[in-house]
Formats: sequence, structure tokens, C-alpha cells
Amino acid sequence: MKNLAIIIILSSITSSAVFAGGPWLKPKGKGYYKFSEWWTVFDQHYTDTGLIDPNVTTGIFNTTLYTEHGIGERINLLLNATLFSRNYMNNVRSRTTEELLIPGEALQSLGDSDLGIKYGLTKAGSKTPVSVSLILGIPLGKSVGGTLNNLQTGDGEFNQIIQFDAGRGFNIGKSSAYVSTYVGFNNRTKGFSEELRYGLELGIGLLNNKVWLSSKLNAIESFKNGFTAETVTSTSVFANNAEFTSLAFEANIFLTKNIGISANAAGAFRGEIIAAAPSYSLGVFYDLN
Amino acid sequence: MKALKLGIGLVSILLLNACISDDYIDDNIDPVLNIISSIDTLEINTDFVFEYKYFNNVGQSESTEVSWSSADPNIIDIDATGLATAFQLGSTHIYVETIADDLNLIDSIEVAVGEMTTFEEVIEIIEGAIVTTSSYKLEGDFVFEATETGVELSFKDNYSASTALPGLYIYLSNNNNSIANAYEIGKVETFEGEHKYEIPNLGFTDYAYIVYYCKPFNVKVGEGTF
Repeated sequence: MKNLAIIIILSSITSSAVFAGGPWLKPKGKGYYKFSEWWTVFDQHYTDTGLIDPNVTTGIFNTTLYTEHGIGERINLLLNATLFSRNYMNNVRSRTTEELLIPGEALQSLGDSDLGIKYGLTKAGSKTPVSVSLILGIPLGKSVGGTLNNLQTGDGEFNQIIQFDAGRGFNIGKSSAYVSTYVGFNNRTKGFSEELRYGLELGIGLLNNKVWLSSKLNAIESFKNGFTAETVTSTSVFANNAEFTSLAFEANIFLTKNIGISANAAGAFRGEIIAAAPSYSLGVFYDLN
Repeated sequence: MKALKLGIGLVSILLLNACISDDYIDDNIDPVLNIISSIDTLEINTDFVFEYKYFNNVGQSESTEVSWSSADPNIIDIDATGLATAFQLGSTHIYVETIADDLNLIDSIEVAVGEMTTFEEVIEIIEGAIVTTSSYKLEGDFVFEATETGVELSFKDNYSASTALPGLYIYLSNNNNSIANAYEIGKVETFEGEHKYEIPNLGFTDYAYIVYYCKPFNVKVGEGTF
């Protein structure tokens, strides 16, 4: 289940990345930095049949520092560090007797983080920029926690994502707008299935580009070539083969020339082995132009 | 610096909401009262102590205040402790009764009085089917039977369970909505076809349900009834 949430986390991260750049790169010495809190609390999930089943209420809260920094004219350094991650599950009580049947538990630690490089395949100023990113998922979180080993702040695997982004800016009346898309391949280790990731984002700048509103469609398709409960003999409790299609809405508001606040809400409307509840993030960003 | 302070304040407020609270499961079931003595005939002018088993409204076995009675005390009389005495040849019914959750629970057994005490042959094999109570696949026929050392639960070749769930466990329980006070057989490791569990030191009537439960999600997946 928490795997699912982690996938949503990555989705949320992607949203940030797109706002910060998408295929657009920061010039050398410039950057975009965001400190945010991402969370989801869910009591139901999409099963392997795509239907929704209940589960014990589970919460995941991640405190994240995202940076995209220009280290060359066509190279950006990407860092998404989960500085603090908390995963909890509620107590389970009898409605008849109120007896505590299964005590709730929580796990806190560093979370899984991403380190990557984005390279511009087109020259700066191109009308249709295209970039390629190599992102390495660093398993800094705990993949096992709690009495039942069912809490985690990371999936424990080292994954590698290669992703292509393309976009185009245009005007709608007097407003700036953009559309961008991406497709990526996530190579995962330790028996987790590989994934195809893709998405589409539309954004518009309002009030002299002080307010940016965007919506984004994200999808992950599992290759389903990893371990299942049948093929793995360890006591691992982690779900595999999760996939989803989600829709996210995001607002980024500049309070000053460089500083702003960001709010994002996302939810999967189709999924397998994934939380069936919205995720949210709130953060502050510093855009060094 | 302003942005950092704003962010830290934001995170602090949000983390206050990340506290463990309570989920409730609907585990209320009808209580059950059963006479568990399997006597068929009681030898005349001898005594026999009848026994009962009571499961409360969450399927927990416990003692409760019961009253014993005989349909014909001239044949077999029984006192408040369940001690019965056979006085004359014939046949009568022995009743045990209690009130629980405003329900009047009664069980009875027909007992004859004869020249020697005999016990009825108890059928200790049941066939049934497990069904999914979720949208995860779980199906198949089972046989539950008593053995010399305990019980055996075997599944037939039409058994099939989803491999998507991590941490699927199988239990024997007296509440089909809960694994509290249930017997954990173990983690499910067979997802297709025939297999069996040999469980020592358990009685054939100790549990009434098979419950499949996903531990990591704390959710019931399926069940079977004995």
C-alpha cells in the first residue's frame, strides 16, 4: 500500500519539476528551490482488479526539499530530498466492545530521495524545448517498520529513471501559457516491476504571471515483471505492480519577485494496488531567475 | 529566510494532523450457545455432567450463566450445574438456556436412558467453499476434518487466490468479521491448486469460520464457514 503512496509522491514531485522547468532548463547559476509538505491519508485502495476496497486508515507525510539548479547552460542538477517521512496506521477497535484489537503504529525517518541530471537536447530559447533527465532513486527511507513490518518510508530499492520532456509556450490572449509532456522508463531493482511513466500538463500564468495555475495528467503503467506474493518467499509485505492514472491541480503564487507559495492536489481515478484517496502538498518556493 | 520560516511553520502545522486515531470494525455477531456433550444414551441410575460452549457477540468463548432443564425429569433430571441423573428407561430432551443481548438462546439434545451409556458418533468432517469478501480473487472448495492429533484443512484443485496482496494470512475464527481471538494458521504461500494445513491440538468444533486477512492492510479478504 505504501508503495502506492510512494508512487504518488513521485507524481507530486514531477508536478513540482514541471512547474520548475518541465523541458525548460534553468540557466547556469540560477535555480528553483521548493520546501514542501506532501501528504495523503487513505482508508481505501484500488485492488488488482481496479475496484476499490477498504483498508485501515493509513497516513503518509513527507517533508521535502526540491531543487533544480543550473550547473551549465544546458545542464540542471535535480535533487528531491525527503528530509522527513512519517507513515502511520490507525488503531483498529471493535465497534461492539471498543476493545483495541490492533494497535496503531507509526514510523519516522528520512525518506527515499532522488538525485538527477537534466540535459537540454535543444538550444536555450527553443520554441519547443526537449530535455532528457536521468534520475536516480536513493533508498534512504526505511522499507520495513512496525510490529507487522507493514510501515515504510521508502521502498528499499534503487531505481533509475530516464525521462524525456517536451513543451511549448504560447499565449492565450494576454496570458502566458504552456503545454508540456513527458515519457519515462523506471528501471527498478529488488524484484520491483519496471514502469512506464507519462504525463501531460497545461499551465497558464495570470496577473502578470504572478499566479500560475496548472493541471496535469500523470500515469504509471507497470510492466508487471517483478515479484508477487507467490514468487517471493521472504516475509516482505510490500505491494508490487502498482499503477495509476491521476489528475493533479496546482497553483503557484508569487508573493515577491522570487518567493511564492505552492499548493497541489492530486488523485488517482484509475489504479491497481494504489491508494484511492487524494494527495496534497503545500510548500514555499524560491525561484532564482 | 522568510520562505524557510514559512515552510517550517507550514510543515509543523501539517504534522500535527499526522496522529494515530481509531478505526472501528463491525464485529458484532449473534451469540451462540451449544451443548457440546455428545451422549446418546445414559445408563439408568447413573450421573452425567453436560457441558456447553458459549460464544459472545464478538465470537469470544466465555462462561456465562445458563440454566439446565429436562423435558421429563422423571426420566432424566438435571441440576443447575448440568449434572444429570437417569431415573427410568425412556427418552427425553435436555435443554440449556441463557439470555444474551436480549436474545433467548436455547440448545437441546435428545438423550435416552438405557442399560449402558453410549455416545453418538460425531461427524467430524465438513466440506465447504471459501468466498472472497473483497475484490481480490479468492475461491475454492475445502474439507475440514478431525485428525488424531488435531484438525486438517485441505483445499481442492479449484482453489485460487490473488497474488497481488502482500501478507495474506489464513485464520480460524469464531467471528467472520474479526481475527481477534482467532487462531492464526499462517501466511498464505499457495495461491493455486491443492494444498493442506495440518493443525495440531485444535478441536473440530473450536472454530466456526475460515478467515483470510491481509495483515499489512488490516483488512479481511475472504471467508469460509464450517
